[in-house]
Amino acid sequence: MVRFENVSKVYRTRAGEVRSLDGLNLEVKPCEFIVVRGPSGCGKTTLLLTAGGMLHPTSGEISVGGQALYSLNRRERAVFRAREIGFVFQMFHLVPYLNVIENVLLAGSSACVRPNSKRAHDLVARLGLASRAFHKPAALSTGERQRVAIARALLNQPKLILADEPTGNLDPENAAEVFRHLEDFHRAGGTVIVVTHGTMAEEYADRVLQMRAGSLNGS
Amino acid sequence: MTVIAIVLKELAHRKWSFLLSLLAVVTAVALFVAYFTTAEASQRETARVTRDLGFNLRILPKNTDMDQFWADGFSDQTMPEDTVGRFAKYENVFLVYNHLVASLERKILLQGKAVIVSGLAPAVVAPAQKRQPMGFAIRAGTVLVGFQVAQRLGLAKGGQIELAGEKFAVEQCLAESGTEDDIRVFGLLSDVQRILKLEGLINEIKAIDCLCLTADQDPLKILRAELAKALPETKVIQLRAIADARAKQRRALERYAAFFSPFVLVVCAAWIGVLAMLNVRERKIEIGLLRALGYSSNRIAWLFLAKSAVLGGVGAVLGYAIGSALALNFGPEIFKVTAQAIKPDFGLLAWASVAAPAFAALATFIPAMLAVAQDPAESLRGE
Ligand SMILES: Nc1ncnc2c1ncn2[C@@H]1O[C@H](COP(=O)(O)OP(=O)(O)OP(=O)(O)O)[C@@H](O)[C@H]1O
Ligand SMILES: [Mg+2]
Repeated sequence: MVRFENVSKVYRTRAGEVRSLDGLNLEVKPCEFIVVRGPSGCGKTTLLLTAGGMLHPTSGEISVGGQALYSLNRRERAVFRAREIGFVFQMFHLVPYLNVIENVLLAGSSACVRPNSKRAHDLVARLGLASRAFHKPAALSTGERQRVAIARALLNQPKLILADEPTGNLDPENAAEVFRHLEDFHRAGGTVIVVTHGTMAEEYADRVLQMRAGSLNGS
Repeated sequence: MTVIAIVLKELAHRKWSFLLSLLAVVTAVALFVAYFTTAEASQRETARVTRDLGFNLRILPKNTDMDQFWADGFSDQTMPEDTVGRFAKYENVFLVYNHLVASLERKILLQGKAVIVSGLAPAVVAPAQKRQPMGFAIRAGTVLVGFQVAQRLGLAKGGQIELAGEKFAVEQCLAESGTEDDIRVFGLLSDVQRILKLEGLINEIKAIDCLCLTADQDPLKILRAELAKALPETKVIQLRAIADARAKQRRALERYAAFFSPFVLVVCAAWIGVLAMLNVRERKIEIGLLRALGYSSNRIAWLFLAKSAVLGGVGAVLGYAIGSALALNFGPEIFKVTAQAIKPDFGLLAWASVAAPAFAALATFIPAMLAVAQDPAESLRGE
């Protein structure tokens, strides 16, 4: 489902070169639940952003669902991303001026997918947010905010979810709930890659990968 | 959700920043609307003020002896009366006049003393002017008598005066003018031509000169050259002081507007641009997120440009309302004589609602491009 072939990402700054990814290889099978762990700065976020078509690697090949991501142009990649990939971030990244339903629907308004209001309401209800559907993010608890972000990631029925420390700001109870929702997606046939510090994810994982200085061991 | 729905929700959320930007657009639009609404009144006011000062172009028969002219106050030569009609034909060719008056003047003796008999034709009015100018319209068989003449002969309204053997009804005795008008008797041109036995002849055409020519450096030179070609039987003198004062006033106003309007535009554009730039910075993560959700560059740029279009549209309507209100409230104070000419101009609303959104979009163009160009990975990585 996801394939990294000798991928490097090098930042050249005035202070020197930073190798975020260093000849990284990874093969994720369809319907796999992958957990990636590793110390801060080892390149976990970089891994997810490159996998999601958001960050051009310096060298190497990345394909998702058999599609070589970076042979697409920017526009095609955006369409591909909208249809196939859902992101969940540690900081939720909800749009402050939109209510819960609108934030979820935002994922369905990118011109390359059809907005589906009924599905948005169903998702919001399934994630236990029916009573908060018309509230703004500022009025929600952190756990609720992350559930909105998950609903948003699920709206377009992606095949792959990339979650960057989705529970980093949550208490254990809310964290467990987030993993349960990711697990539901996984059971329904989705592929998940989660970056996390905690150990809680491991009980849901098909594989746990250890990342160090831009490459993975245990793959 | 459509782009416009997202834009409106964002505007509602960041009210203050929106109101601040709106203030810039409203200020610019209101100033322009107020300026153009009163411009017409201002122009008419200038014309009216000079008309009150008197005629400032005097067109004389070519062979007039200027020493005689200045000594007597009128030319003792004549030209055909139809010269005025031919002169009028050049309206908008090389001059724009407010009105032309053909006259015939001669000195005659009345009970042993000199009076000047002035025959005035009805004014020829510029087509654009439409209305007859103010001033006296003289009926056949009647005269207006200057102050000194009336005093000396003991004339009063309703009395009679005999000129060269013909009797005329005194229509009015004029108030003291302090000029040679006090020894004038004004009659209808055809009456005066008849008693002087100078039928079909005049000795002067008086005109308020053109509005555009005096803005030039030396209008008289141009006018003389043109007249030499068009009406070879005439020569022209200009009452300099009046024309210059007027030209100066108009030039000052134009210079003021020319300096002021680009200045207002630049300040407002910078103002809107800076606020848009801050908006882009504030929404860095949102832009990164939209990218992650598969929004194209165009769509993201549209979010910002559509926002400025909304800003421009609302600003145009409000600015028009405020600008018109300002013009209607304070305009009549400033332009007392032509206050009636100050009316709301709906054409300006149409203009504003096209120009203001375009202007706002232009002012936010750079921030919008920056929004599109920024690296989404960068903003999503951080908080
Ligand atoms: N724009 C950049 N310029 C230079 N270096 C960068 C840039 N972005 C990231 N890096 C470096 O790349 C390395 C990997 O960053 P990345 O964000 O992927 O780490 P991470 O594993 O997600 O860390 P954390 O657990 O703290 O989130 C870090 O050393 C970081 O400093
Ligand atoms: Mg990270």
